[in-house]
Amino acid sequence: MGMLEITDLQRDYITEVLNISMGSAAAVLSEMVDEEVSLSVPEVDFLQRSVAANKFDQANAARMSGVTQAMTGALTGDALLMFPEEKTLSIVRILLGDTVPVESLTEMEQEAMCEIGNIILNSVVSSVADLLKKEIVSSLPRFIKGTGNELFSVETGDEDDLVMFLKVDFGLESQSINGYVTLMLNVDSLHDFISQLDEQISAA
Amino acid sequence: MLPDASHINRYGEAEIIASPADHLFGKVLDLSENGLFLVDSERKIILWNEWMVQASSLKREDVVGSAFVDVFPALKGRRVETVINAALDTRTASLLSRSLNKAIFPLYFSEIGGEQQRIEQSVTVKPIQSEGHDYCLVQITDVTPMVQREDVLRVLAKEAEEALQEAEEASRFKSEFTSTVSHELRTPLTSIRGSLGLIASGVMGTLKPEIGRLIAIACNNTERLLFLINDILDISKIESGKMDFVMGPVDLKVVLLQSIEANQAYGEQYEVKYHLNDVVDGTTVYADTDRLMQVLNNLLSNAAKFSPKGVEVDINVIRKDEMIRIEVRDYGSGIPEQFKSRIFEKFSQADGSDTRQVGGTGLGLNISKAIVEQMSGVIGFNVPEGQGTIFYIDICLFKET
Ligand SMILES: Nc1ncnc2c1ncn2[C@@H]1O[C@H](COP(=O)(O)OP(=O)(O)OP(=O)(O)O)[C@@H](O)[C@H]1O
Ligand SMILES: [Mg+2]
Repeated sequence: MGMLEITDLQRDYITEVLNISMGSAAAVLSEMVDEEVSLSVPEVDFLQRSVAANKFDQANAARMSGVTQAMTGALTGDALLMFPEEKTLSIVRILLGDTVPVESLTEMEQEAMCEIGNIILNSVVSSVADLLKKEIVSSLPRFIKGTGNELFSVETGDEDDLVMFLKVDFGLESQSINGYVTLMLNVDSLHDFISQLDEQISAA
Repeated sequence: MLPDASHINRYGEAEIIASPADHLFGKVLDLSENGLFLVDSERKIILWNEWMVQASSLKREDVVGSAFVDVFPALKGRRVETVINAALDTRTASLLSRSLNKAIFPLYFSEIGGEQQRIEQSVTVKPIQSEGHDYCLVQITDVTPMVQREDVLRVLAKEAEEALQEAEEASRFKSEFTSTVSHELRTPLTSIRGSLGLIASGVMGTLKPEIGRLIAIACNNTERLLFLINDILDISKIESGKMDFVMGPVDLKVVLLQSIEANQAYGEQYEVKYHLNDVVDGTTVYADTDRLMQVLNNLLSNAAKFSPKGVEVDINVIRKDEMIRIEVRDYGSGIPEQFKSRIFEKFSQADGSDTRQVGGTGLGLNISKAIVEQMSGVIGFNVPEGQGTIFYIDICLFKET
């Protein structure tokens, strides 16, 4: 099983929910930096861990960097936000304006990226928690870099785990920067997720 | 057990601590290098460590038990309040970086001498649950040293960037200057050469022999000066990357014969004849014709002027896989050992003295090397058995695509 089949209706519903929460994350960011920021989720997939890791390495030969948070509660695992390394650099430098012209992010720029990731990941995690009608507690954000495989730590994770794989468009100063958000889901919580989803779809 | 806020208010600071363990933990918190405070689900501050007391100048008994927004009225509706609420309501942890949130809390160092300085802060907000109650722990890290370090780094990096730009500007100016001056010199020199040529040819009237001799010297030196200026122009073009190459298929035999013919007269001055060994008809290389001729002219003229009178200069063409090697072999005195490493440098000549027997300025090989390398080739020399030197260039065969 490489990919979990969900119906178009289910997919549309998740995408819509996520886009609403991304919209509010973008509003928070816009206000913080006093600049137009947009965030959207054009694509949602559920993939096996190893499949997701491969997809990453193929799509991005270059190194990635981003932010991770550990989740406990209804979901246990990591939430990740990733961009190609040089994109992370441009996001931070556009948002901060006054920057140090060196090749990699400084300590303080990494901290700023952590906050940006924190805002985005919290909004994704909280909308998933809302869908599950359960609580997910996430840790503080941490800055990370590496290849897709490294970031996924495929070796240590459970093979059966699924990854909720979101493409994210980060719109900044008329640029559109493509990144990814991934959430680890264990199979049980995924079934929960799907049945909650159906309930809400039929209620809507 | 976490203390109950009303309890604290009534009994004041000393009473916060209920048991010996709590007493110890309280001391530990007071020794922390970070600012720590705890907010309960009613949004009241129920813990305020010593660091906070110092930095905010707010006494514990005035803060503990008060609502967060009463302690920090300016932060009402701000992001800090939002994330504290999120920690209490949805157990979300948040980070407020110093770069995206300038000076979150009104906290100050008191410097010796009285001046107060705002503390640069990085703030984390974490949910805590204890005995069925939700709390929110706010931790403040003083990142002032990090900010100062990066300010220094920023200044240094900007300075380095500016210095680089200045250096690039200066070098651009230098090569523009060289090329403008060379152009400006060339025009009057060309007309001087023309005039001297007319006089020397006798069309302006027969010259007395002494005058004829002087005019001939003037003609020669004008010619040399023009060559020199052309070389300098080439070098400034190479250095500024403005030398254009029109690459394409070039019939090697045709080019070699043309170069030899062009150098015939020069060779005769040194009583040297050029001899071209067999070249396979139709051998085609990938090059810029004029630039390739320029390189060959220099190798052929060097070979002639450094050969003893009456000997030959051999030109060989050897095929090596996808490359073609053109060799120019002379039977002269060779290249002095200590000069070999400098031979391709600008203005370098084995005999740099003013009393040198032969002409030239030592730019030829430097330009030749740049040209050959631009055409993805290699230039070099070998010391053959017996007398003399072999200079060679390796260039690509033309491949039909
Ligand atoms: N075939 C050769 N045999 C011996 N020495 C040589 C030979 N070719 C070059 N050299 C040495 O290398 C020096 C540099 O050669 P290069 O062609 O760069 O300058 P040049 O011939 O002196 O002047 P220019 O080519 O600028 O008119 C020569 O002055 C000479 O000392
Ligand atoms: Mg020469």
